[in-house]
Amino acid sequence: MRSGLDRLIERIAFWTAMAGGAALVVVLLLTVVSIVGRSLIFAGLGPIPGDFELVEAGTAFAVLAFLPICQFHRGHVTVDLFLSRAGRRPNALIDAAANLLMTAAAAVLTWRLFLGMLDKRSYGETTFILQFPIWWSYAAALLGAAVFTLVCAYTVLRSLVESRAGQPAPKTGPR
Amino acid sequence: MTSLELGVWSFPLLLGMIFLRIPIGLAMLMVGFFGTWLVTGSWTPILAQMKSLTYDTFSSYSLSIVPLFLLMGQFATRGGMSQALFKAAETWLGHRKGGVAMAAVGACAGFGAICGSSLATAATMGQVALPELRRYGYSGALATGCLAAGGTLGILIPPSVVLVIYAILTEQNIIKLFMAAMVPGVLAALGYMITIAVYVRLKPGSAGQRARAGYRERLGALVAVWPVLVIFTLVIGGIYAGFFTPTEGAAVGAAGTGLVALFNGGLTWRGLGEAITGTAISTGMIFFIVLGAAVYNGFLAFSQLPQETANMVANMAVSPWLVLLVILLCYLVFGCVMDSLSMILLTIPIFFPIVAVLDFGLPGEEMALWFGVIVLIVVEVGLITPPVGMNLFVINSMAPDVPLVRTYSGALPFVLSDIIRIAILIAFPVITLGLVRLLY
Repeated sequence: MRSGLDRLIERIAFWTAMAGGAALVVVLLLTVVSIVGRSLIFAGLGPIPGDFELVEAGTAFAVLAFLPICQFHRGHVTVDLFLSRAGRRPNALIDAAANLLMTAAAAVLTWRLFLGMLDKRSYGETTFILQFPIWWSYAAALLGAAVFTLVCAYTVLRSLVESRAGQPAPKTGPR
Repeated sequence: MTSLELGVWSFPLLLGMIFLRIPIGLAMLMVGFFGTWLVTGSWTPILAQMKSLTYDTFSSYSLSIVPLFLLMGQFATRGGMSQALFKAAETWLGHRKGGVAMAAVGACAGFGAICGSSLATAATMGQVALPELRRYGYSGALATGCLAAGGTLGILIPPSVVLVIYAILTEQNIIKLFMAAMVPGVLAALGYMITIAVYVRLKPGSAGQRARAGYRERLGALVAVWPVLVIFTLVIGGIYAGFFTPTEGAAVGAAGTGLVALFNGGLTWRGLGEAITGTAISTGMIFFIVLGAAVYNGFLAFSQLPQETANMVANMAVSPWLVLLVILLCYLVFGCVMDSLSMILLTIPIFFPIVAVLDFGLPGEEMALWFGVIVLIVVEVGLITPPVGMNLFVINSMAPDVPLVRTYSGALPFVLSDIIRIAILIAFPVITLGLVRLLY
């Protein structure tokens, strides 16, 4: 009985995570190639210059791109001890409140990250070795933060619908 | 209210929010955010901090090890290595009394050497070992209990995600921590096997018999686990020898397990998508808590609470061992309702400065390693204690015919084994530190 909106949001969260996964795989391959290059210095090869900087930028992008799917699949850690017997409706309402707070936090996070990007751009800050502007990495990371806010906002709606329908909220929890 | 009082009051507030089922990371983020506002009396510091904090936290080079280790574990679960490990352990141990359960524990220990997460270890080995355990007539309680306990080896035997977080929080050398956890990890596996041996003798009928495997079969099964050995040696050996950084080691390990999964046909496009989804959900969960903890700990530092508490404890004329005991009891109690990573992130900034000023007759660094390993074991006990033991839930959900209460009772002997081992490790720090002293 899933709505079209639910499917759409899941697709968005999924493909954002895949973009993050692609970045993570690139980080992985780049690191391995760099190690191989470093061990073959005698043969005229060498490590990839600035590999640490690329790992850092890639990880930041990947982690933020992973947040939406975590939110969508209820992956955040909660302590489910006192309210487990309170019934479905109150629980769905509490979820709605928690998701609303999460949306507010995500929005603040995105807003501050955006201002941080503007700062880095106006200072013209670059990385140490590769000299690429840091605000590029901020801009890439913003994508994940913005989608995270969107998915959070959707989960508020989802909890409200669940509280009205009284249907059991599927529990997935951390994997 | 003074800043110190704000710091003190933030704790019950935080716990209240967590018990109202607000995600732990969010609760820490909010309390830290508003707490910093109250302590500094202005919005400027916290808003300025938030401009770069998110990016700085998520782009930390030492933290980038976490998604890579998680990806490595995801590939490992798809690479058929769990079957090979269990088969090898079963042919060597299976014919003993309770042998198939011992084999499950041994295979968990082996899988823990390429996977840094307890839940993944429990889930993966559960899929392989649970049907076998039931086939040989092991009781539901023993079968689910030993797998839930075996899963905790995933995080104790390096690589370990929680140890990475502890190392970053306390500014310790990750590889020394891994070395320190090695012997206690092997002891844990042996302790669980002894527990099983005692259990099946006290409760006859809880385990069936399996025929002895021939030596040809045993050697063949042992040869099949070579990828696990190669990857573990390459990752841990390479990091130890200084050939690569821990993050690079994690990348090598992920590439290695990925290759094995590719050759065993576990890494289709679909499998890759699932591996990335699994990594994404765990990574998102961990990093969101790390971010919340960064904001909260920033607030605590403003409030001076950790320093003041440490000073207060140092000036109290109590035995350091008593303080340690109280701290460990706190972990055991909290562990019943909280997961290990949140507990570490929440408490280490407060407990570590306290422990650091106490005299246990160990130099500073050794004390940090020893305390880290003991805390890791204590928080892992929380994974197999009711009412909220994640490993128990994971394994129990795979055995629909076993009531949760049976799983609880099956796990209790292993909790006892854990507590005995913690006492031994506290009494003899050399067990933890011996390998580190030998190698450095």
